[in-house]
Amino acid sequence: MRVDIEDITLSRGRITLRGSGTFGEGIHLVSGPVGSGKSTFGLLLAEIIHPTGGSVQRHGISSTLLMLQFPEYHITCPTIAEEVISWGLDPDDLLVEADLAGRADDDPFHLSRGELKRLILACTVARNPDLLMLDEPFSSLDCAAKQRACRVIEGRREGITIIFSHERAILPQVDAIWEMEGGTLKALGSVPRAIPRWRHAPPYLTYALELGARPENIRLQDAREAVCRIRG
Amino acid sequence: MQDPRLRLFAATVLSIAAFASTLGAVAALIWWLVFTPRIKALPRSGVFFSLVAMITVTALISEWGGGPGISYLIRMVVILLLAAWAYSETQEGEVLSVAVWALGDRIGFEIGLIAEVGLTGLAVIRQDIEQARIALALKGNRVGVLTIVPIAVLLIITQIRRADDMARLLVVRGYTLGGRICPIFETGSRDIPAALSAVIPGVFCCFPLRDVFILLQ
Repeated sequence: MRVDIEDITLSRGRITLRGSGTFGEGIHLVSGPVGSGKSTFGLLLAEIIHPTGGSVQRHGISSTLLMLQFPEYHITCPTIAEEVISWGLDPDDLLVEADLAGRADDDPFHLSRGELKRLILACTVARNPDLLMLDEPFSSLDCAAKQRACRVIEGRREGITIIFSHERAILPQVDAIWEMEGGTLKALGSVPRAIPRWRHAPPYLTYALELGARPENIRLQDAREAVCRIRG
Repeated sequence: MQDPRLRLFAATVLSIAAFASTLGAVAALIWWLVFTPRIKALPRSGVFFSLVAMITVTALISEWGGGPGISYLIRMVVILLLAAWAYSETQEGEVLSVAVWALGDRIGFEIGLIAEVGLTGLAVIRQDIEQARIALALKGNRVGVLTIVPIAVLLIITQIRRADDMARLLVVRGYTLGGRICPIFETGSRDIPAALSAVIPGVFCCFPLRDVFILLQ
């Protein structure tokens, strides 16, 4: 199961996207500042838009899902339960999973942005597609909800998961890091070797690296553990 | 047309002419062919033809009921073409500038600000529809009759929320009534001939069609 990107180019507004590389099985983080073209790249990989040059080739992938940055756009039903059913899922289990038990008959638009994000994230992960893309899954979430979202994402050990995010505080354990800047996608490689090359690394990782520590992964606890190891 | 004042004048006169009579609409169409970028000023073909289809259905019903359906079709399509042209050429802030130039810092600013917010809202609605279409496609649905209601609900709720946010933002920034800007306009070389030519369809619309043919004889 993999997605090959071969010299793709796409001009969209002020941005020209460029990139090459292979997304294999596991969790990939595509990081980069706001406006660097991450969302557009997600649309490209989801084959909602098509590149003007190069190609995106999928191998062994039978289902794809993209969670949009703004969860309101996903809503198509008048109640939360019906919304879950529209994803082909059982609302009883999923609402417990999304910490929204007892709200099955509420209007989805009455949920806060964070609650709605939690609901849509739970739905997309529960669908368990071969290729899952999450556009800014941590935006609008508080710290506890971000950590919860990280656990949900980490729980997906099959298929390809690609996270497009500018988040630099609370991140899940990932297998590979990619960087997006000015529309160009760069593959930094697999974790932990990619961490020192990561220009948009969170401050705690940069700090750990400056101390000479070598974190195993990109979470805060990985940086802490690495620092503890060198300090004995 | 660079000068938004002349563009507004031309669009208003031509729209009135096109609405008033079939002859005025034909004259306005000729003006549109001569002075605008024509097809380049139209929205996406799907959007444009959907609007034309809606007008056509109304026109056919009118014609079937003995009304002036064909005339209605011609007049409305020409108004649609003029609206598409005026919208495509409008730059951010121009409506506010024209309103302040015409009506001053108080009423003009208020009207201009409302119009400017409305125009920005149109662009946002277009993006919202595109995102909703993507979300539907991800669920395996296509935009159709059954999806009109959820998309409409989404648009109404998001627009109300944005309007509320904007109102709060204006209050936080101390906005009460009116404002002061110094509008600057640039007039292109073809702007004045185009604006003056727009008066011709305006004159045409005042004559009944048969009177013109009598005059030609």
